Amino acid sequence: MDKKCGVYICTGCGIGKALDIERLSKLPGKDYNVEVCKTHEFCCGPEGVEQIKKDITGEGVNTIVVAGCSMRVNQDVFDFGPDKIVERVNLREQVVWCQEPAKEKTETEEEIREGVDLHIQFLAEDYLRMGIVRAQKSELPEPYMLESLSKRILVMGGGVTGLTAAVEAAKAGYDVTIAEKGPSLGGYAGKLRKQVAASHPYADLEEPIVQDIITAAQSNPKIELKTNTVVARIAGQPGEFTVTFKKPGEEIEFDVPQIVEQTHDEEGKELTKEQIDEIYAELNKGRADILTLDPDGQKFGAVVLATGWKPYDASEFANLGFGKYKNVITNAMMEEIAAKGNIVRPSDGKEAKSVVFIQNPKKGDDSDFPFGSSVTSLVALKQAKYVREDDSEAKAYIIYQHMRTPGLYENFYKNMQDDDGIFMTKGSVASIAEGADGNLLVEVEDNLIGETIKIDADMIVLAAGMVPTTKDDPVVNLAYRQGPGFRDIGLFDGYADSNFICFPYETQRTGIYAAGCVRQALTIGECIEDATGAALKAIQCIDSVNRGVSVHPRSGDMTFPDFFFSRCTQCKRCTEECPFGALDDDEKGTPKPNPARCRRCGTCMGACPERIIGFADYNIDMIGSMIKAIEVPTDDDYDPVPLRVVVLVCENDAYPAVDMAGMNGLKYSPMVRFIPVRCLGSVNTVWIKDALSSGLDGVLLLGCQYGDDYQCHFIKGSELCNRRMENVAETLKSLALESERVELQQVAINEYDKIPGIINKFMETIDEVGPNPFKGF
Amino acid sequence: MAADVTKGTVQPDLDFIRMLKKSGGDTLKKCMQCANCSVACPLAPDSRPFPRKEMIWAQWGLKDKLISNPDVWLCHQCNDCSVQCPRGAKPGDVLAAIRNMAIGEFAFMKPLAKIVRDKAKLPVLFAIPTVVLLLTLLVTGKLFGFGEGDEVAFSKMFSIPVIDVVFIPLFLLVVFAAGKGVMSFWGALETADAKVGKKRYIKPSPFDFVKYYILPVLGDIITHTRFAKCGGNKSRYTAHLGIFFGFMGLFLVANIDAVTHNLGFHTPYPMLSPPKFIGNLSALALGIGMLLVIFKRKKDEAEGTQVGSYADWSLIWMIVAVTVTGIVSEVTRLIGIGFVAYPVYFAHLVFVFCLFLYLPYSKLAHMVYRTTAMVYAKYTGRE
Repeated sequence: MDKKCGVYICTGCGIGKALDIERLSKLPGKDYNVEVCKTHEFCCGPEGVEQIKKDITGEGVNTIVVAGCSMRVNQDVFDFGPDKIVERVNLREQVVWCQEPAKEKTETEEEIREGVDLHIQFLAEDYLRMGIVRAQKSELPEPYMLESLSKRILVMGGGVTGLTAAVEAAKAGYDVTIAEKGPSLGGYAGKLRKQVAASHPYADLEEPIVQDIITAAQSNPKIELKTNTVVARIAGQPGEFTVTFKKPGEEIEFDVPQIVEQTHDEEGKELTKEQIDEIYAELNKGRADILTLDPDGQKFGAVVLATGWKPYDASEFANLGFGKYKNVITNAMMEEIAAKGNIVRPSDGKEAKSVVFIQNPKKGDDSDFPFGSSVTSLVALKQAKYVREDDSEAKAYIIYQHMRTPGLYENFYKNMQDDDGIFMTKGSVASIAEGADGNLLVEVEDNLIGETIKIDADMIVLAAGMVPTTKDDPVVNLAYRQGPGFRDIGLFDGYADSNFICFPYETQRTGIYAAGCVRQALTIGECIEDATGAALKAIQCIDSVNRGVSVHPRSGDMTFPDFFFSRCTQCKRCTEECPFGALDDDEKGTPKPNPARCRRCGTCMGACPERIIGFADYNIDMIGSMIKAIEVPTDDDYDPVPLRVVVLVCENDAYPAVDMAGMNGLKYSPMVRFIPVRCLGSVNTVWIKDALSSGLDGVLLLGCQYGDDYQCHFIKGSELCNRRMENVAETLKSLALESERVELQQVAINEYDKIPGIINKFMETIDEVGPNPFKGF
Repeated sequence: MAADVTKGTVQPDLDFIRMLKKSGGDTLKKCMQCANCSVACPLAPDSRPFPRKEMIWAQWGLKDKLISNPDVWLCHQCNDCSVQCPRGAKPGDVLAAIRNMAIGEFAFMKPLAKIVRDKAKLPVLFAIPTVVLLLTLLVTGKLFGFGEGDEVAFSKMFSIPVIDVVFIPLFLLVVFAAGKGVMSFWGALETADAKVGKKRYIKPSPFDFVKYYILPVLGDIITHTRFAKCGGNKSRYTAHLGIFFGFMGLFLVANIDAVTHNLGFHTPYPMLSPPKFIGNLSALALGIGMLLVIFKRKKDEAEGTQVGSYADWSLIWMIVAVTVTGIVSEVTRLIGIGFVAYPVYFAHLVFVFCLFLYLPYSKLAHMVYRTTAMVYAKYTGRE
């Protein structure tokens, strides 16, 4: 595209007052030969927009640089259609609103309007330069279109969640296939005596409703039902997943290849690449490679993962007599008994008239059973009611540390509590002993009654947790180079969810949406809601892929990573570091991109040592050129020389925090220049070198919190970046530069108040280290 | 083996829970043990405060712990707890129901207790004194007429010696029954404390016991000091004080009558004689007190902070009946309407008889049980 650039400087919101606009508006023409440069006191108003539109039609301007407010606001106002490039220069939040005009006048020969601070003027000029460079280096993206697109949705699991997801997706007009491992539909919800109410007022036990959903699914012509079926492998990418089904237990050619987890041999020596390949070949004998597509495979656009949960194996709780005393059972076993008829105990089939429900396994420790949740609390209440329903003289005791009945389930708690024969206390189980007749004596300490009590129980029910099926099994069996399961699932205790709070349903694999108990322990009512959400996500995915845009979290982004393969060294770093497993390398190690799997974070671009990966509007050269566009004052002109620091700032959380600091009028050093990046994971170390070699005094990286409570939109971006920066420190040393010049800081989106502190502290560090010795070379 | 397992286990009493629910404690299961009540209570001691623990004992149907617990009697039911309760569990009412159950539990001559506590047995309740008084009239030959004459004088129907012959044994019987109840209550209190290892090894001498434990409590009761601490209770305090002194005055006058009669004085006394004056003043205090109680209860019940039980209202109406019949009989006597005065006086005696006979079983028994509990609390240092 032939670019014709126009620069529009807004003088509203205090910009015109704080800056020498006349001087600023001469810059594009002088430094970049931009012919069209106009100012307006209200760029986002109708007249301001009209001025730009007039130039688009009259002058043929197609690359527009708006210098004014942050790129985070007025996006709709400055949208001039898909064939125009629009670049925003943040003179408001990151220049005039966050800077205090210096009290002393700087001695200079520069010509500048009276009352304008020179450093702030420089800051604005640098931003304008970077904006023009960015606009010049930007290309219009072209969408990545699949050759053929399947809009069919695969639902794994035929329980209440899977069935609901299928029915909801079918209602929205999509064809669905349900793959259920077991011989019948309904899942766990079909094996209950009664369920906790799934609708308002959430107060009572009700007959299981799953049969209605089964009927709805069976009678819907858009839904194909496969029982006794598991997924052998899912290959390809969203929009064109190729899925091979099989019977449970079968071994077939298209079983998904396993990855080698072993890294060292028996003697503790690190395995060589050849050895690993050998183990891999042995492990996957008779299985087709991941890149081989099953010719008989069925095509799917997206997957809803609703494989549910398994009861926790309580055998580790010998202290509670599980495994030792027959009448100590788990809640899942209790449900089985209850579904069959009266509550009878395992040892002698006698009806249990006194049942103790234990919610916490360890004395003196208030933690729940592993994988315990609000659901296990609700189930204890429900099962206590079973005991009472069968016999009005029976007694049910619940000993808990936490009684969790969130939201309106409080109504359920209240209703169960109202039963004369349900006795509850917070307490700690000290011991359990068995009598000759199989009765059990439960000793409860630290309770609300005020003294240690002993309860004579016919039976004890342990509140064992609900283990997500993905805990020890890949389940999804993805034919991905990174392996068949979700790679960092350990961060989520085995739940197939990549970020509970911000992005429900989203797993670490694009196009695969988890719902129900595989994602989080949920009640049946909650599963139904969850399934609806996940079905919608699957539809969103298919629709996005259909338009060639990113699904999430950069929804609608049309760019995708482009590889310049002739310079690829097959180092596989991109394949390994991609948080979403988007790349599959072939036997030589050349990466095969799967753009529909990609979330456009740019981690591959940051990883590539050859710098052959880039996006249409975001690449190595562009950011490097922007860094180089920053004017570096030298000591020829200034004494002391003003410092220059570039801050690469994550545009998801840190950039909004910086904007908010400006909105709140917080002030910080005028020596820093922010450059937004898609994710710190996309920061290539070459940019650090670019910065330091062009005389900048330091580089600060502002990213998200990482670790257990990470906040990264792309799971590991800032963590990866931090690891890469350790290598950079070594490079710096070899150049006789101080490692303090590069620093990574974590900041949450709401921590705008910390921004000035972080920046000023870094400036102090740089002050101590002194100016970059390469200045002026 | 099996026997060993069940020894010392908690045995929730479902029937007890049902009974509590029926006698005004229907909200007891709603408690979630947040202990707002214990914080709100101006009377609860710092250690093991009530009514939080009583609430869970009630939920668990731990009857023995509840009835052998002095704390339920240390409450004067200002209902601050019920007002503050976030779950509507109304601890104030639950404690009242527990007290009611305790009175029934420790009662001597339990059949009488059953009559008092069962609404259906109301006719029997009135039949007993009516029959006794009618028999008395029959025996004294006055059942079918007693030479009324011009002046209305109740001694013509029931002479003072006859009254003494009926009411003094009745009084002694009541004292005995109440005493038995109190003794078993005291025993239960001691047993419960001994179970958790609390025991007073050095017993005070009877003289010291009266001096250090009984007298201070009686002093407290006469001045209503503890009662006054109940924040939400200003109007109930006044009402209760009126009723309390009304009864005390009337009791005093009755005794004066019994004594002076033997000294040769004859009833009715002139209006300005000290006994008559005290009697009338007491009746007035009682009447005003009862009016206050009724208004306050009606208001609280309308606001939902209190649930009136049969035990509450049966006693209230009984006292009202005594007061009203007393005043009406006196007024009609003074005006000289004999055909109204005499039957009303008879009814008055029936109600007074009821109040006496049923004292150890009705809510009125709180005067002995609460006093006992307060003495016990003082005695064991629980204040």
